[in-house]
Amino acid sequence: MKRAHGLITGAALAAAMSTALATGAAAQTIKIGVNEPLTGPFAASGTYVVNGAKIAADEINAKGGLLGRKIELVIEDNKSNPTEAAAVAEKLITGDKVPVIMGAWGSSLTLAVMPKLMEYKVPMVVETSSSSKITTSGNSYIFRISPPSSVEATEFKSIMPSLGIKKADFLVINNDWGRGSAEDFGKIMKAQNIQVGLVEIMDQAAQDMSAQLAKIKATDSDTIMVTTAVEQLTLVLKQAAALGITKRIVTTGGSQNPDQLIEQAGAAANGSMHLTTFAPWYPDKTPDPAATKYFLGEWKKRGYAIAGATESFRGYDGIRTIANAIQRAGKAEPAAITDALWTTDFAGLNGQIKFQKQGPAGKESGQSMPNLYLIKIENEKIVLSGS
Amino acid sequence: MTELLQHIVNTLILGSTYALLGIGLTLIFGIMRVVNFAHGELYSFGAYALYFVGVMLGLNFFLALIVAVVLGCFAGALIEVVLLRPMRGADIDTTMLVMIGAMIVMQNGEQFVWGGVAKSVSTPFPELPLVIGSISVSWLRLFVFCAALALIGVSYLLINRTKLGKAMRATFQDRDAASLMGVNIQFIYMATFAIGSSLAAAAGALLGPVYVISPQMGNLASLKAFAIVILGGLGSIGGATIGGFLLALAEELGAGYVSSGYRDAMGFLIIIVVLLFRPTGLFARAERIG
Amino acid sequence: MKRLVPYIALAAFASVPLWLHDPYLLNAFITTGILIIAAMSLNLLLGYTGQLSLGHVAFFGIGAYTSALVSLGFDVELIGGIRVVHEPWPVWTGFVIGTLVAALCGYAVGKLSFKVRGAYFVIVTISFAEVVRLVALNWVELTQGPLALTSIPPMTLGFPGVGYLDFYSKQSNYYLVLAVLVVSYVVIQRLVYSRVGRAMIALKENESLAVSVGIDVTRYLVLAAVFSAGIAGAAGSLYAHYLKIIDPDVFAFLYTVTMVIMVISGGKGTLAGPIVGGLIFGFIPVAARSFATPEIQWILYGLLMIIIVFVLPKGIVPAIEKWFSAPNTSVDPEPLQAKMHDTP
Repeated sequence: MKRAHGLITGAALAAAMSTALATGAAAQTIKIGVNEPLTGPFAASGTYVVNGAKIAADEINAKGGLLGRKIELVIEDNKSNPTEAAAVAEKLITGDKVPVIMGAWGSSLTLAVMPKLMEYKVPMVVETSSSSKITTSGNSYIFRISPPSSVEATEFKSIMPSLGIKKADFLVINNDWGRGSAEDFGKIMKAQNIQVGLVEIMDQAAQDMSAQLAKIKATDSDTIMVTTAVEQLTLVLKQAAALGITKRIVTTGGSQNPDQLIEQAGAAANGSMHLTTFAPWYPDKTPDPAATKYFLGEWKKRGYAIAGATESFRGYDGIRTIANAIQRAGKAEPAAITDALWTTDFAGLNGQIKFQKQGPAGKESGQSMPNLYLIKIENEKIVLSGS
Repeated sequence: MTELLQHIVNTLILGSTYALLGIGLTLIFGIMRVVNFAHGELYSFGAYALYFVGVMLGLNFFLALIVAVVLGCFAGALIEVVLLRPMRGADIDTTMLVMIGAMIVMQNGEQFVWGGVAKSVSTPFPELPLVIGSISVSWLRLFVFCAALALIGVSYLLINRTKLGKAMRATFQDRDAASLMGVNIQFIYMATFAIGSSLAAAAGALLGPVYVISPQMGNLASLKAFAIVILGGLGSIGGATIGGFLLALAEELGAGYVSSGYRDAMGFLIIIVVLLFRPTGLFARAERIG
Repeated sequence: MKRLVPYIALAAFASVPLWLHDPYLLNAFITTGILIIAAMSLNLLLGYTGQLSLGHVAFFGIGAYTSALVSLGFDVELIGGIRVVHEPWPVWTGFVIGTLVAALCGYAVGKLSFKVRGAYFVIVTISFAEVVRLVALNWVELTQGPLALTSIPPMTLGFPGVGYLDFYSKQSNYYLVLAVLVVSYVVIQRLVYSRVGRAMIALKENESLAVSVGIDVTRYLVLAAVFSAGIAGAAGSLYAHYLKIIDPDVFAFLYTVTMVIMVISGGKGTLAGPIVGGLIFGFIPVAARSFATPEIQWILYGLLMIIIVFVLPKGIVPAIEKWFSAPNTSVDPEPLQAKMHDTP
């Protein structure tokens, strides 16, 4: 993690100095705050997102920047900890004087940042968090480009008939994301007369899911709906194979990194299906093929593991969403950027980025509705099977 | 019935590696009176050592396992000499703090060197599981089970049948008397920590390929190891072995028949109950630290 | 001269918001202050009774959750179909109830777990904290589990008809935390210098002797645990109403570790120890942010822990006191206490 803003963050040590320096530097660059977990349990994902964000920033700067100025990412580690996430937001807004933030990966991290956004009236583009609370609690500075599980489930409805599911069990990570998915997908399934069997949960840090899987193995369901991030998913697939489970496994949530699954779970990944919002294997099926190809090319050129692309594209899209808004706002000020975000309408890597209003009237948050793809792993290759 | 059998098979395999973790910690805990918070980090050290030797240097999987255990032994000896020897005589919470510091440094050092993305190690075992009736178990896990049992046996013999083991037991019972009888206490401490560490590293190297290898993998391992040690009583290899299987059983049955959300709570609940009724653990002779 | 130190320190801290206007640094002062209160409560157990509670964060979290739930309201169905509905109460009642509930848990845990000592006590307390964390994570109906309790109102003082005082701004929160810190300090000081405190120290020094002269071990240990847990709960309540969101991560082991570092580096068994240690370890991460990459920040943090323990095993405050009292060999109560740690 090389950081180009050491000078400016250093200034946070002394209040007076920080103000002087920050205003001095603001004349040259437009700053965008990035609040991501770079250490702690979510470090891998946070780093992927930051790498994607850097590609976007470099691309924009190579094309001459915004409003005649270069953009500068001020990247801070929230240590996978809500207290730190809130403190980092405070630092970015008051110390670095950023007019807009992207963050904060996990839902509890984002929720902890939200009161600060209200306090300082600074908008934030939420790139990953899935909790429905984020857009429904009446915070008008929130613009989310990732789909909450309810949106994912609704879009899944049109794909579902082709799978012929009769009864499904759930195995989900024990956080807002997993529990939310089980609830939302369960609701949609029941409405389609599909039986919902067990809802098993696994601790975030758990490595052995054999007990839960043994229980699921013994039921008469035909499908297991799994929601968790790639590391745990790898283990679920391997352990399900070791237990001889032959039920269809469908994963949700968009943090699956199918390439990494194939690499690490091997044959155990065969036959599994994954709902994802970005299909880098089929650039021509994405909303903006040229952008997808550019992003993937850069990702490869920088030597990042290809497996990270399905997570990092959110960082890329997040920064592009912000840049697009700043360009149209004509100035890098929080209020102008907030207004401009409402009129965003451009092709992101995973769909048209366009914010719909959600939450209590008068203080709605923005929610963009991305595309959804169902892919299948066959013979350790990725096949598109529905969208 | 099938489900129960599958749970029991899972328990045996999981329990054997828990036991390995617990034995290493119980030796250190019992003989040196050190609450070793870095134990989980030696577990992940073993896993990363296997990854480095087996995948990056391309050594044969079984040889790499042995190298990882040996490296764990050296790492343990080094930690003992550098961090614990100067703290001899300090009270239990002060040394514990040093070990917490070591844990933070090692865990973030791993992330610095290897990055946060999980690593996986492929093994020479077939991917298709062994199926007996309705029970199914992967070959790799079967191997892990056998290797863990072998290591448990070796540690038992080491403690009960060798001169070093005799000196360790003597130190455990009465440090001063052992010292007067000519036991080199400094060496015994180093050996204890090195043996405990190599067992943790062995557990990590065995489980690394079963799971995935990540900088955070040690956190849960540490907590589980503490639970096992308390169940079994300080310094008791037999106790730690049974404690390991017991914890695995509680977790499997807890997740299978109670609620998977409380799977990891089972072990801790057992600890609380055990300590309330038998404050020295299930299997320890009357022995207390205070 | 020595008597004046606490007053000078208090005046200095009270002046901070007057000259420090950077909200980020003020925020760091507030969160550090909250952790210092928790560390002071841990010191009461660790420093004065010699019992190391590694589950101290449980009381902190229980205080936080109770206080938040009292002020937010809840609707839970218990086993047997009994439904408990609670309408939101004023925030300050949350603070009081949070403190009391934490103290009650301290009583229960103290009563039960002081049967075991040393390493066993350490593990029992860790287990307790883990079980509480898992309950907070899985009892979704009450705690919202991983979905987190959000929109927690800021601390408010006042009564209907009299008027309300809202602690919304950084400055007001700073003074609120400072006030609670001072009250906790005085409570702990009174306790330690009372008959109870002398009994506790006697216990730590030589338990069998203390018992033989008629000191009721369990009673004093439980008393210490009750006060300790209550103060930790108060800190947790401040935390919840300041951050305005809590999730089961408040029970993270890392917070306990932070408290222990603050106490031991500052000097356990000294009143000022947790404050000095707390300021150092509260601000290291803030300072390190400016020059080190995320992993290196943590590595520095860990190394500094090890170095402080190596160089000043008794902690910073006893070392300073020793430095000042060395020339005129006067007998201070504090260094005497420090010496007691040598007892095996």
